[in-house]
Amino acid sequence: MDYRNRYVNGKGRYIDDIVFDNMLYMSVYRSQYGRAKISNVTGGLNANDFNAYYKSSSGEMASLGAKDNKNVYLEHVFATDYVNYQGQPIAAVFGKTRYESEDLLNEVKVDYTPLKAISSIDEALNGEPVHTGTENNILASHELGKDFNENDIDYDIALEDEFFNERIVPNPMETRGCIAYYKDNMLYFYVSTQSVQSVKTGLIESLKLKGDSVVVIQADTGGAFGVKGSFYPEYVMAAYASMKYKKPVKWIETRTEHLMAAYPGRGAKAKIKIYAKNNGKITGVKGEVYVDAGAYDAGTGSFASRFIAFQLTGPYNIENAYVKAISLVTNKAPMGPYRGAGRPEAAFFMERMIDLLADKLKMDIADVRLINASEKPFKSPLGLEIKEATRPFLENALKEVNYREVSKKEKAGIAFFVLIPASRPGESARVIINHGKIKVYLGGNVHGQGHEIFVKNILENELKIRRDFITLENGDTTMIEKGVGSWGSRSAIAGGSALLYVAREIKNEVIKKYGEYSPEKLLSGNFDKYKFIEIDYSVNSINFNMITSSMDKNGEITVDKWYSYYDLGNVLSEMNVRAQIIGGAIEGIGQVFSESLRYSEGQLMTQSIADAGILPANHIPEYHIKWIENPSEAPNGAKGLGEAPTIGTPVALVRSIELNTAIRIRKTPIEFNNSILLE
Amino acid sequence: MMVNIDVNGKEYKKDIEPRMLLVSFLRDELNLTGTHIGCDTSNCGACTVLMDGKSIKSCTVLAVQANNHKITTIESDDPKLDVIKQAYVDENGLQCGFCTPGMIMQTFYILENNENADEEYIKKNLRGNLCRCTGYKSILDSIKKAEEKMKGEISVSK
Ligand code: FES
Ligand code: FES
Repeated sequence: MDYRNRYVNGKGRYIDDIVFDNMLYMSVYRSQYGRAKISNVTGGLNANDFNAYYKSSSGEMASLGAKDNKNVYLEHVFATDYVNYQGQPIAAVFGKTRYESEDLLNEVKVDYTPLKAISSIDEALNGEPVHTGTENNILASHELGKDFNENDIDYDIALEDEFFNERIVPNPMETRGCIAYYKDNMLYFYVSTQSVQSVKTGLIESLKLKGDSVVVIQADTGGAFGVKGSFYPEYVMAAYASMKYKKPVKWIETRTEHLMAAYPGRGAKAKIKIYAKNNGKITGVKGEVYVDAGAYDAGTGSFASRFIAFQLTGPYNIENAYVKAISLVTNKAPMGPYRGAGRPEAAFFMERMIDLLADKLKMDIADVRLINASEKPFKSPLGLEIKEATRPFLENALKEVNYREVSKKEKAGIAFFVLIPASRPGESARVIINHGKIKVYLGGNVHGQGHEIFVKNILENELKIRRDFITLENGDTTMIEKGVGSWGSRSAIAGGSALLYVAREIKNEVIKKYGEYSPEKLLSGNFDKYKFIEIDYSVNSINFNMITSSMDKNGEITVDKWYSYYDLGNVLSEMNVRAQIIGGAIEGIGQVFSESLRYSEGQLMTQSIADAGILPANHIPEYHIKWIENPSEAPNGAKGLGEAPTIGTPVALVRSIELNTAIRIRKTPIEFNNSILLE
Repeated sequence: MMVNIDVNGKEYKKDIEPRMLLVSFLRDELNLTGTHIGCDTSNCGACTVLMDGKSIKSCTVLAVQANNHKITTIESDDPKLDVIKQAYVDENGLQCGFCTPGMIMQTFYILENNENADEEYIKKNLRGNLCRCTGYKSILDSIKKAEEKMKGEISVSK
């Protein structure tokens, strides 16, 4: 059955829908303080029973090239001497029902001495170190590009500004959850995830298990947006408890826990200085990029600042660039990816400077972008490779959205940006044909993007078989030997290419066996093919958005029209494209108006999913979706998409809003106190 | 405590704890797992079901409060619900599917209560149902399509 038919009939099998006999329900006792010394813990399962670090060496940042970090910043599964964020796990309790397990939380007793918590990037820079044995709160620090003396470069005007994107926790509608089931010396681990492989690696590394004794199986996954690509202490606890109590153990996160302890993204700040000529040409960029990495090196925090800095100059060919990238320890949950994961931050910082420059020089925002776009491929001083001329693309984009006309009548903001998918190191696919049915497995696990649609398109095209014979199965480590994950706008490129390869191989096998290919011959036989396609190059794409908005007399802003001109490479499914675009756009709109996690003195002020600013159905602009298909060098010619709307939307929208309010916007979510007027 | 709750036309007599929420009753006691839990602050609407035809959030109602009432869930085989479900499939009104049962039950309520629900009315009545995947446009399209189909069928049967 099509996954959509299952879901509309309430027949999804999400992690909380799976029940085993004699199952225990796990609840987690979490720190109520942002920072405290623990002198004693009694009750439940705690660090006195099980004292270990958790980590996974595979995950989204690994697929972008991050390396392991230092031990002093690793988090224990159960807190030992200190807690460093509100929501940090200290103990776990197990009941026969979820009600019983929640009651048991009352039996845990912790003696704390609260300490002063570090709640922001500025406090981290200036405050005492969070971790004993460290000298400051710098988790990672890098310099990108080459430092330059401003006297040595050619410029007429220098501008400086500061920007901030507040933390956002992904908040998929289904929270995190897992069931660990240890039986016959095997650990079966069911989980809502973007990558069964990275969960498996994490369990093996954290519990020191043998690879062939762990099987990870994906349940239907109710959204993820980055948060289910990370590896978490709760997984280790559930697995450990199942081994200890010899029973299946289920953990389902509450939304309150999600807000406190799931890994949030964004949380990035930048100070940028640009040097430009009076014609708008930027000759130099200097910057400092900081991320709020949270209390431990667990998610993406150590790598995230560098990833933002690396792509700061975007599609613009700027001769001199030098950026310091610093990841800071704070008393908050460790940082992880949220859809975009550094890309929206980089574009926000740079594009805001370009708009500022346009205002100062009284130039049109499109013209400043045009003069800085490139006539030929180039490599930025920060290391970003752009394989095509960006100026012709921008010229076309402006024409296609009719920018010159629209911007005369409406408050139009634009965004011009690069999407860097996490295409490396490639991905796997397996196709099994048996009894006339076709089952597909992908190494990156679908979590609500509707990959089944593009999977069916590929196989229908290549093998001329009927769609209803095909199913995309959930992730399962016994079915796919090696896999990466579904994140970083990589699924169509990497997973799609692997599937195409396998489909062609199968076709060849049919020909070898029967002398010719026909769908009937294929379906009458048994075939089983697996392939990991290596991709060791970047598949960057250039993209453009325009957004218009208006303001009523109460100061209420309405997002009116949303335009895109994206380069998607070969499109595998138009339906998937539209769904990804519109779904991503509202997340970008949410970032601008409301989405955030807010802390004060180590205490989380954001109390509910409504408070976290997830938008309801009242923000639906008119969509004008356009794209072009310049094939990429990936085997199937695809480019990235999923994150593009989360990059372009905030950039274009804040510009449109500031044209309405005449107040310069430097922060998301937007705030109008401390106003600097637009000149 | 003994309760007697009619769910999708079938009566269930069960002895339950007084504190049990209706959503737990449906999911854990009856194994009707189509009704989901998305939050613990009654904000998300993933748990939406109908009680005597009115939409409620089953995470804010105790099972005992549903005693002697009629509950309709996504598992109901009401033909009108089938029209709505098909419209969601046709218009791709779902992605991960987690909000979907709640959305569909809320749609059912909206269309049963207003034959001429326009876009503003629909949006207003969807405020309690959050979706993180779709950006709501395809959901709105699904609801409008279901509305058209229902109207068509009503005029045919007249
Ligand atoms: S579960 Fe969120 S409103 Fe009921
Ligand atoms: S379809 Fe995923 S939350 Fe609505």
